[in-house]
Amino acid sequence: MQIKKWGIAMLMTIVLSKGYSQLKPEDVKTFTLPNQMKFLVVEDFSIPNANMYLFWKVGSRNEYPGITGLSHFFEHMMFNGSKKYGPKQFDKTMEFNGGANNAYTNQNVTVYTDWFPAKAMETIFDLEADRIRDLAIDTQMVESERGVVASEKSTGLENEPKTELWELLFATAYTTHSYRWPVIGYFEDIKNWSKDDLQSYFNTYYSPDNCVVVVSGAVKFDQVKAIAEKYMGSIPKNKPPKPMNLIEPEQKGERRVFVKKDVPTFNLMIGYHVPPTGKADYYALDLLDAILTNGRTSRLYKAVVDSLQLATEISSFTENSFDAALMVVDATGAKDKDPLLLEKTISDQIEKIKTEGVTAEELQKVKNQKLITFYGQIETINGKSNNLGIYEVFFGGYKKMFDAPQEYEKVTIDDIKRVAKTYLKKSNRTVAIMSPQVED
Amino acid sequence: MKKITLSIIITCVCITASAQQKFQLPKYTTFRLANGLTVNLMEQKEVPLISVALSLPAATIHDGLQAGLSELTAASLVSGSKNFTKDQIQDKIDFAGATLNAYSSQEFTRVYARFSAKTQDIIFGLLKDIVINPTFEEKEFEKLKTRKKASLEVAKQSPFSVINYYWNAMMYANHVYSNPSSGLISTVNAITADDAKKFHEKYYRPNGSVIAIVGDFNTAEMKAKITGLFGEWKKASGTIPNPAAEPVKMPEGANVLLVNKGDARETTFYIGAKGIAKNNADRVAIEVVNTVFGDRFTSWLNDELRVNSGLTYGAMSRFDANKYTGTFKILSFTATKTTFQTIDKALEVMNRLQKGIDDTTLQSARNYVVGLFPTDFETSGQLAALLNDMFIYGYDAAYINDFEKNVSQVTPAKAKEIIAKYFAKDKLQFLLIGKADEIREGAKKYGIVIEKEIKEDSYEVKGKKTF
Repeated sequence: MQIKKWGIAMLMTIVLSKGYSQLKPEDVKTFTLPNQMKFLVVEDFSIPNANMYLFWKVGSRNEYPGITGLSHFFEHMMFNGSKKYGPKQFDKTMEFNGGANNAYTNQNVTVYTDWFPAKAMETIFDLEADRIRDLAIDTQMVESERGVVASEKSTGLENEPKTELWELLFATAYTTHSYRWPVIGYFEDIKNWSKDDLQSYFNTYYSPDNCVVVVSGAVKFDQVKAIAEKYMGSIPKNKPPKPMNLIEPEQKGERRVFVKKDVPTFNLMIGYHVPPTGKADYYALDLLDAILTNGRTSRLYKAVVDSLQLATEISSFTENSFDAALMVVDATGAKDKDPLLLEKTISDQIEKIKTEGVTAEELQKVKNQKLITFYGQIETINGKSNNLGIYEVFFGGYKKMFDAPQEYEKVTIDDIKRVAKTYLKKSNRTVAIMSPQVED
Repeated sequence: MKKITLSIIITCVCITASAQQKFQLPKYTTFRLANGLTVNLMEQKEVPLISVALSLPAATIHDGLQAGLSELTAASLVSGSKNFTKDQIQDKIDFAGATLNAYSSQEFTRVYARFSAKTQDIIFGLLKDIVINPTFEEKEFEKLKTRKKASLEVAKQSPFSVINYYWNAMMYANHVYSNPSSGLISTVNAITADDAKKFHEKYYRPNGSVIAIVGDFNTAEMKAKITGLFGEWKKASGTIPNPAAEPVKMPEGANVLLVNKGDARETTFYIGAKGIAKNNADRVAIEVVNTVFGDRFTSWLNDELRVNSGLTYGAMSRFDANKYTGTFKILSFTATKTTFQTIDKALEVMNRLQKGIDDTTLQSARNYVVGLFPTDFETSGQLAALLNDMFIYGYDAAYINDFEKNVSQVTPAKAKEIIAKYFAKDKLQFLLIGKADEIREGAKKYGIVIEKEIKEDSYEVKGKKTF
């Protein structure tokens, strides 16, 4: 009883705090160069640093068998020399100027991240512009980078046995769409792609109109715009790539896969097809995801970890995706427990939501969690750039980021029930189990 | 009550454009309660959040033969306290969208929280009760132990997860810094809720502890609040002897610890020696030199092992500094068949370092460490942790405020001194986790090889007298 009273009071205080955040839509300024390269800029003088995040709309979904993993390999090659800054010079120059960088590739995008003292911004633009305009693919660098990527793949498998199950889950849930292969690619493809494949990939996807750039930090908008025009304004556009046209057919029955592996406790993953990021039911599904696994009071944690002790960990996750995505529930089994019992308990919990719904307090809880997460994400200049880029690329515009609290607020108990019924059904799922015991 | 105020409260910490080039620690207030608890308050108003870090002397160095006791005690705090049941604690945390947790490390237990300023009274109420009055209910404690044991077994599938425990066992031998913080399956099995209760009684005390609160609040109001909340926490009698102050005898001869992982596809390795204590006067200069050697993408190690030869996804070096001493290590991994080619290249780079560093390279490293330094202290959580570390390890704001000046003083001559003193190439120790049958013979060229099996419960090095 006491909790409930407090709950109502909390509900009010949290809602009141909305809109407090310093970052407002008008703080994000934008411009687009004549070559259609789009820029978002946030002036933030809290530390004397800035960053540049370049979101390229290319990832493993743009590959085909024979060149699987090429998007990720290409990301590595972007650091290996261009016309003005030859091999090693990109990193050497950036670090000499007090900057650092990294990059990541996933199924949908390739993102390059530069962090630097604000005074070094012009150098960073010069470096980025040079490799975007005039990447020089060096044969010798291709060969040594192959070894690097093979090591990257190998160390992932060595240190995270679940990687194998994750790959199998996607390979099973998708039969047609390119989400079916791992982002890092097949070992055989890593060994086989050629310099021509790389050049053709560069020409196809690294066109300025395929990129969104976000700059946040102790810099002025006018200064960013002037430097961007100077260094990137004249980079020519390429012919637009052929659109990725593969569509995953509707799943019409449950799929089950097993991996026999000498693991001390089994692993269980269940994947459900859901719509693309930012599309229909996105916010309701995101809240359902949190109701299931976010925190110790979430439905599944309480049931399978705390109460029945069938698992030691449980989480769920949906990657940002341009095409129909997969919501994955991922559990690490408890010692000597039965994977099928764990699976049944998870299913029963989901069924309960479909029939009985969730409580008003439970729904408010996950809305509150989303709000705090949002503040945490925009606390740093890196969080600002990353989130703005993601909303710009996946949600159809950075302004949607500021609508997110309202979008979450709109979701009702009936919405949660409805999306659970629509998407979390047996015929739409793939179950993957890794365990030492598999029937011969 | 003795009040020490280092700085005047300010309401805004916005750094103006003219101050851009030099990064300074934002102003904060510090004082000590009558019971000895040190309190640091720093306003940061960019987002309506508050971060708290509370560090207690409870630490794995006090685990004795009960490896994992400190960590289990910390993890139990949120499982129930005098005024709140486990469900009440967890409902309140989750409903507020807050984080409230605790972990234990070699030299402290840290309770940390992050929450909306609007829910601060609820979270502070919980934080106080779980720290001062946890109940260690037996049923919950047993559940935690079961999960812990399973995670220990899972960790043995991943060299990255366990390599530090082997390294500490090898380097610190009988010293308390070798205690494995997560415990062993056998020791966790034997620890009871009552053990945790006793550990709590002894090591969770206001005197000798520090709390830092950073975020969206008014300092005067927060001071009154914290004084009210934690003022009643009873001061513990006496001081806690610190077993880590005992001298450490690190291995000196050439030794190899080879940990067999039968299904390994690669070898994960450390090469290293004695390092430094956290408050070492040369800390900044060592950071600059190590940046060149192994702590950035273009470092000599990464350049040679990754960029030039494609032997690995990454190679680096680091100093892990504790309060009294630490270790230095090179770390990397490579396919089983290229194990010795990779280790030999790492040793070549180590040899090359002995010749010194040219000024252009040093200039680059100086720019690099200064350029990125502010990003380590950007969030309220980072700043709260920093204020805790300053108290635990005995350094002050000068570390931040004089960082740039100290970095600028690392000349080639200074670098040469630092290399001779802290990057000595003799006395190196080797730790390899991989497929023993394929690397046993080759490993012998580096020193006396002692073998262990990754599936064994203990990380302890048998026959470590030879080390």
